[in-house]
Amino acid sequence: MATLIERVPPMRWTAGLLRRLGLHGRGLVIAVPFLWLLVFFLVPFLVVGKISVSEALIARPPYAPLLEWDGWRLNIIVNIENFRYLWTDSLYINAYFFSIQVAFVSAVIALLIGYPMAYFIARSPEPRRTFLLMMVILPFWTSFLLRVYAWQGFLRSNGVINNTLISMGIIDTPIQMLQTNFAVYLGIVYTYLPFMILPLYANLVKLEESLLEASADLGGRPMATFFYVTLPLSLPGIIGGFMLVFIPAIGEFVIPELLGGPDTLMIGRVLWNEFFSNRDWPVASAVAIAMLVAVVVPIMILRSLQARLTEEK
Amino acid sequence: MIQNAHAASSRPWVAETEPPFLRIQKVTKKFGDFTAVDEVSLDIYRGELFCLLGGSGCGKSTLLRMLAGFEAPSEGRIEIDGQDMAGIPPYERPTNMMFQSYALFPHMTVERNIAYGLLREGVKRDEAMSRVADILKLVQMTQFARRKPHQLSGGQRQRVALARALVKRPKVLLLDEPLGALDKKLREETQFELLKIQETLGITFIVVTHDQEEAMTLSTRIGVMDEGQIVQVGEPAEIYEHPSSRFVADFVGSVNLFEGRISVDEKDRLEIDSAEMGGTIHVGHSTSCTLDQKVWYALRPEKVRLDREEPVGEANRARGMVEEVLYLGGQSIYKIKLDSGKSVKATKPNLLRHEDDAISWDEPAWISWGDTAGVVLTR
Ligand SMILES: Nc1ncnc2c1ncn2[C@@H]1O[C@H](COP(=O)(O)OP(=O)(O)OP(=O)(O)O)[C@@H](O)[C@H]1O
Ligand SMILES: [Mg+2]
Repeated sequence: MATLIERVPPMRWTAGLLRRLGLHGRGLVIAVPFLWLLVFFLVPFLVVGKISVSEALIARPPYAPLLEWDGWRLNIIVNIENFRYLWTDSLYINAYFFSIQVAFVSAVIALLIGYPMAYFIARSPEPRRTFLLMMVILPFWTSFLLRVYAWQGFLRSNGVINNTLISMGIIDTPIQMLQTNFAVYLGIVYTYLPFMILPLYANLVKLEESLLEASADLGGRPMATFFYVTLPLSLPGIIGGFMLVFIPAIGEFVIPELLGGPDTLMIGRVLWNEFFSNRDWPVASAVAIAMLVAVVVPIMILRSLQARLTEEK
Repeated sequence: MIQNAHAASSRPWVAETEPPFLRIQKVTKKFGDFTAVDEVSLDIYRGELFCLLGGSGCGKSTLLRMLAGFEAPSEGRIEIDGQDMAGIPPYERPTNMMFQSYALFPHMTVERNIAYGLLREGVKRDEAMSRVADILKLVQMTQFARRKPHQLSGGQRQRVALARALVKRPKVLLLDEPLGALDKKLREETQFELLKIQETLGITFIVVTHDQEEAMTLSTRIGVMDEGQIVQVGEPAEIYEHPSSRFVADFVGSVNLFEGRISVDEKDRLEIDSAEMGGTIHVGHSTSCTLDQKVWYALRPEKVRLDREEPVGEANRARGMVEEVLYLGGQSIYKIKLDSGKSVKATKPNLLRHEDDAISWDEPAWISWGDTAGVVLTR
């Protein structure tokens, strides 16, 4: 070992060490984000996992330790009671299903709105295309929270929409829009629409014009061309956009909190209440872990589908 | 005048025995200020294999795309089988196109790619599949029916693209540089197959190409394009032996051009004084020109005789120095620098496997040619 160090200059030595650890070139580039995820995602996840199997205490921190040294031996106390509790109380199960429902319906609506927009942008000539793409990204320049608050101003009983309708004489009494599920769907679709449009755009812009021409040339009317050529070729983009809307929407907290009513019980909100109102960290952690599992399964299915579709091309 | 084996009945453009099948009348296409196709008029007859030949960017694809309906003419009229095509979308036209890039649907198998056009037309599934099987046999692709385009070689893809356009039996088949992506050998094989298929099915083909050899091999007639205009239309031999302008002479094959002035203009005989060549040129035919007019004499390299000894007579000959000899296997190309300073190309077939006494570089030599070897061009 000593001879090796002598022979190799110091700079090369570190490189050599990294190489022996299996890290060089591409490996090194991947290692950085990998480490980042390890430190800032996996470790906190393990902490949450640990808390989820602890017992709740009125203390600081408000849960019992996992490992206990009683002077003679090390006791590992695993408490799966929290997970059982999730099953027994219908609140949690209902909140899960409702979250998935809201996320799914929102993603479908975002797809129906986003697809024509992405298609139109992708087929626009160059200067206009960049401009339209900018317009899609523009809302990100203001705070997300601010934009959701702005919707409150629109939807309130004495808000912009109701006032306009009343002054035009279309309605007499304001329509209840804020604090309804409608407002939640609206908020989610509005917020996540760019995440639907961007992957769809990226896919559709690559669609070769000559394929559409070939379809028309072979007798395909515009509708047939869309359903037999454009749509199947854009499936990877559809799945990508769908995932980008569906997944974060499941755990959404801010939008149901600010726009939803008291009965809009989405899992993110339940989680918040458990942590900060009830201060039951173990149950809250169990909810978080269960949610992760519930989300990971559909993601894996969609991902493998997407991979298969891209491979086929 | 034209040496061609075709009988007059198979050459309706000569005898006008039938009306044209496809008429292009003064068609112009403008993109903004730029004129891509400029007042093109063309008549094409049933069962022809017509080649559009021209350099890159001269408007061949644009003209073809107007026939297919992807592009609307800015001016002029297109008629197929007596029907005006104005306002008729691609999916209602009796044409099919084979794209330069093939444009095969990547998510469909070979079979489904070919069946696509039939199914859109409303052909029953069983019938469509049997027609697909037939056409696959014709292009010898039966064993690849279940593959996706990305699992095929370039040549195989090209056959699929051809089959897909053929299966609908269009009245006119448009082919945009169909053999562009193939290597020379495969290209030649495919050219013959294309000819065979065209003869079997009797469909009218319009082929775009910038390869003059391909145009010569394939076509009944060639239309040479330059800067959006058709500059000459004719049978391959006519285009080669009787080019109408310097551009055509130079574009189709290789040519020597001597600038000069008409010094004698008789009924069926011309004489040209050419300083560029360094002597007098006798021509055994007449052209519409006037005395002292500036003309060019176009002489193909294979029509130039090359000798060590001085040829008899005082016209159609010049002395020079062999500068370069290029051995091409079947023939050799000689580059001769004339005493006048002009460089001339001459080709000679290599009749013997080894010629001890062959003319080689840095040797003085004489070039000469007959009265009917070349053409007089006024443009
Ligand atoms: N959509 C368009 N907008 C503007 N200009 C165009 C358009 N399509 C073609 N052109 C121009 O028209 C001219 C003719 O184009 P075209 O594609 O017909 O050439 P081509 O003869 O097929 O050439 P090539 O052999 O390179 O394929 C070119 O100068 C091209 O730049
Ligand atoms: Mg072209």
